[in-house]
Amino acid sequence: MKRGDSLYRRLLGWLLLPLLVLGSLILIQAWVDAQRTADRAFDRLLEAASLAIAEQVQWQDDRLWLDLPPAALEMLATDAEERVFYSLVDGQGRLITGNAELPGDPRQGSGDADTLRYRHIDWQGLSLRQGVRRTRLEDWRVRDPFEVRVAHSREGRDALAAELWRANLAMILAMAALATVGLLLAIRAALTPLTRLRRAIRARDPRTLAPLELSLPRELAELRDTVNELLARMRRVRANQERFIGDASHQLRTPLAGLSARAELALRQDDPARWREALVAMQASSARTARLAVQLLSLTRLANPEYRPDLVPLELNAIARQAVRDHWAPCHRQGVDLGVETVDGEVWVRGIDWLLAEAIGNLIDNACRYGGRRVTVQVEDEPPRLAVEDDGPGIPPQRRLLMLRPFHRDRDDLEGSGLGLAIVDGIARTHGARLQLSAGHDGRGLRVALQFPGDTP
Amino acid sequence: MTVLLVEDDALLAETLVDTLGLEGHDVCHLADGDAARVRLSAPGHGVELVLLDLNLPGCNGLAVLEALRRHDRDTPVLILTARGAVEDRVRGLDLGADDYLAKPFALDELEARVRALLRRRSPDPQLRVGALKLDTRHQRFTLEDAPLALPPREQRLLSCLMHHAGEPVDKTRLAQEAFQGDAMGDNAIEVYVHRLRKRLGDSGVALRTVRGLGYLLEVE
Repeated sequence: MKRGDSLYRRLLGWLLLPLLVLGSLILIQAWVDAQRTADRAFDRLLEAASLAIAEQVQWQDDRLWLDLPPAALEMLATDAEERVFYSLVDGQGRLITGNAELPGDPRQGSGDADTLRYRHIDWQGLSLRQGVRRTRLEDWRVRDPFEVRVAHSREGRDALAAELWRANLAMILAMAALATVGLLLAIRAALTPLTRLRRAIRARDPRTLAPLELSLPRELAELRDTVNELLARMRRVRANQERFIGDASHQLRTPLAGLSARAELALRQDDPARWREALVAMQASSARTARLAVQLLSLTRLANPEYRPDLVPLELNAIARQAVRDHWAPCHRQGVDLGVETVDGEVWVRGIDWLLAEAIGNLIDNACRYGGRRVTVQVEDEPPRLAVEDDGPGIPPQRRLLMLRPFHRDRDDLEGSGLGLAIVDGIARTHGARLQLSAGHDGRGLRVALQFPGDTP
Repeated sequence: MTVLLVEDDALLAETLVDTLGLEGHDVCHLADGDAARVRLSAPGHGVELVLLDLNLPGCNGLAVLEALRRHDRDTPVLILTARGAVEDRVRGLDLGADDYLAKPFALDELEARVRALLRRRSPDPQLRVGALKLDTRHQRFTLEDAPLALPPREQRLLSCLMHHAGEPVDKTRLAQEAFQGDAMGDNAIEVYVHRLRKRLGDSGVALRTVRGLGYLLEVE
């Protein structure tokens, strides 16, 4: 699992992201508000100053005259030590007096109304807030229009805006911190059942398959139930295995007991002929036991529900021939005539060669063991089929199904392990093939066939 | 002939040492994988055949086989193992083993395999199947010490069967050997087999039919 891929982190991420966006928006809004408030406060000063100046404009010696009251400018220069500019311009736009030649306001409109119009200007490298007041002389002789232009640099405004914003910022940050802490706690609390589930699983004895018993919120309860279902399946598999191991151990112990007893008996006797007899019996019994062990191993593997080998294309004629080559000599020694009947052309199926070889081996072995004297491995086409037929006593139809059960043996069966057909059945199932038991071609003996699914690879 | 037996089970090892000793082989027995690997890793190991168990104390049999095959591709190796499944056989053969015998096995089966592997190792100019002999240098057959004169097709057929004595040989393969590309059909081979049987008579060498597959030459 990647390091970043944690439920906690994911939740935190998704919840914090909108919080961050919201916080940023609030901060921007706060900044804009602070600016606006500062502007409104300082614009009042501009207005007062321009009004004070305008009131002092007089008509003297046929021209406009301004006797500037110092207070008018002082009120514009706050403690922030802004630079203050003013100019008085007549109706034709000529500068009458002032400490700077400020530009006019190019905006048209209700110019003659006695109001102040504000704007930001960049003038000679300075960022200024300017107010322009258009008005007329209130003299009974002259009513000349004139403009009072006042401006000051922005230090005071910026300082006020920053101060207002800082106060807001502290509050916003405090809220964000509080929200984050709240989120962390909430997520942690919400994930606690998960931790409990983890602890419960970790604390389990690995040998027990008992269901998990703890109360959980709905979402996790589903998970717990799924785990419990899995555990139940595993319990069934294990019960099956335990039964099988019990059977198997019994099956192995019995011949070992026989061997041991036979050897003990022989040692009590002094007759070499008796020894020989005992040795022959013990050899046969030990060979059977060894074969039984091999079969048990095969069956355990085939019974494993997780065993899903890859099937590859195989040619049945070749498999049948190879099986006969492998088993001919031992069969011949027992006086069994082993042969093969193949079909012309090739018969392809999907399968695993060594499993099919094991299946044929078991069938040949069974056939020899149960009285077959003539055993034939057969290949058929359409549908693809692999069969072993013998001329022994056969099995009555009503008992055939029973033969597939592990350790099942017929009453008169003293030699077999009862595993051969169960193994073949397991192999057939692994191949998706059907196992068919029938009588031999002339009604005698037994014919066991694996019929493969018809699709050719 | 030195045969190296690598087997950890004392009873089985003792039995095999005795069996192979009676057959006239010098048998060297090692009981663990590490010793076997040391012995076989040396280039001049002087072993003619290795009988190798797979489940060994020390390093396992497949590792021993790998160590041997790294520098020596010729010395035949016969794997003896209790892992019965054919799946393991395939793995052993892939790693360069020459043959495989699953425990438990019959002693005569083991002897036959050992003989076959040693024969492959040093092709004896004299092939023997019971009373039947073939001098491979001159393609001359003798039966019960009397020369056996055969027409070419029967010669080739019998020679092929003798090379694979004890194992079934496919009819198709025999036809290819005997007729050398002449289009004669698989059934024609039966005629020649019939003739050969008559010649072999009751010399103790039998030419058996493996139903549906082919034929096999063996000592009765």
